[in-house]
Order: sequence, then structure tokens, then C-alpha cells
Amino acid sequence: MTRVKVLLAIASVAMAVGLWFALTAPADTLQGDFTRIINIHAPSMWLAFLAFGLTALGSAMWLIRKQSRWDRLAQASAELGVMFTAIGLFTGMVWGQAVWGRAWDWGDARLATTAVMFFVYLGYLALRGATLDPTVRAQRSAILGVIAVVQVPLVYFSVNLFRTLHQTQSIRLDGITMPREMSIAILVNVVAFTILYAALMLARIDLAKAEERVAAESALAGDAVKPPRLSEVKDV
Amino acid sequence: MSDQLIVVGTFVISYGVMFGYATYLHLRRRRAGN
Repeated sequence: MTRVKVLLAIASVAMAVGLWFALTAPADTLQGDFTRIINIHAPSMWLAFLAFGLTALGSAMWLIRKQSRWDRLAQASAELGVMFTAIGLFTGMVWGQAVWGRAWDWGDARLATTAVMFFVYLGYLALRGATLDPTVRAQRSAILGVIAVVQVPLVYFSVNLFRTLHQTQSIRLDGITMPREMSIAILVNVVAFTILYAALMLARIDLAKAEERVAAESALAGDAVKPPRLSEVKDV
Repeated sequence: MSDQLIVVGTFVISYGVMFGYATYLHLRRRRAGN
């Protein structure tokens, strides 16, 4: 069993435990069962921040060292960050519709900055897809990866800087402003999601390595292994 | 639609996206070979 499969198996168990905590924690008096959605929303956004932070780290290290492993780290982490941001936005909208009475509000600083961050990192992935040469691709995306990370603290502190619709942080270093059972469920899910993130990161980096090997082999083989086009074959 | 159905649906879609991404990586890795 490979390292990736072992970590994915551990992540599956952790996610199942997290799901159990999310579904058995007491429901909120006012929000009812909708409060359970926060068990996906908060860990997803935490991982988006972590993922984009690691994208910036990989990008900066690539710019300094020019080693492809740092580019692979940045790419894998950005992809996962976009996925977790999408889940965070979706779950937040469902919760918002039920509790706030509206799924989206462009006037809210947290929602608007998160949407901008999501689209910037989608742009990061599009930039990677649009550049064929691996070195040029790594260089361009590394510059964007380093610049784009300024959005992470902006999104995180937007609720403190602009008091609009979204509430401030409930779990802080100086204390927790929610019932113990609910905060335990969220923290268990944060751990579970982080293990899943680590497993998917390893899987994505492993895939990038394998695809680079295939590309290198086909470049070495050149035209020798390219099958002839049907139009070039005369005796059909 | 009942509240619980919306909550369950949200969980199914969110976990489905994560499972789908893991499956997508697995299939692409298998295509890339060893």
C-alpha cells in the first residue's frame, strides 16, 4: 500500500468521525439543524487559507530555488484551495439563505472578498493551463501565487475591519464564543479536513510527478512512437 | 422542503465534491501509469 493510499484511508476514517460529530452535536436554538452546515463551512475556509498560504510558500521557494518540486506544491495546493473555497462558499450560501434570509450580499465584506479570492485563484489555475512551457508556467504562476496571498489576511480580518452581515470569528486564541459541544464538533472536523487536505496534496503531487515522467518519456521518444495519421496510410 | 433535507443535501454535495476530486485524481494517476 502506498503512502498516498494509507493517508487517504486515515482521512476517510477521520472524515467519518467528523461527520458523526457534525450530525450528533446539539442543534442551535434559533438556527436549528442549519447550524450543522458550519461543520463543513468553517473547516473548508480554514483549509482554503492554509492551501493558499502553502501556494505562496511554494511559489516563493520556486522563485528562489527554481526547483520543480516547489512548483508542484504550489499547483497542488492552489487546486485544493479552490475546491475548498467553492465548498465554503456553497455551504455559506445555503446557511445564509436559511439563517440570514439571503444567500448572498455583495455589500458584505467577508462575502465579497472571499468571492474575489476564489476568482483570482481560478485565474491562477487558468494561467497554469494556458502556458505550455513548464519553466515559463512555473515562473508566471509563482509571481501570481506570491501576490495573490495578500487576500488571505484580507478575507480573514474583513469581519473585524468592516462590520457588515457576516459575524466575527467564533473560535479565537483568546476564547470560544459558542457552546462547548458545537466547538468540539467543529474542531474535530477541522482536524479531519486537514488530514484529507494532506492526503489529497500527496495524491496531487504524486500525479504531477507521474505526468511529468510521461511527458519526459514521450519527448525523448520523439516522433518514433507517433502512430501515422489515417490520411497518411495509403493501403487502407 | 424540510430543513433536515436541505442540511443532508448540503452534506451530500460537499462530501461528493471532495470524493469526486479524489476519484478524478485516482483515474488520472492510473492513466499516467507507474
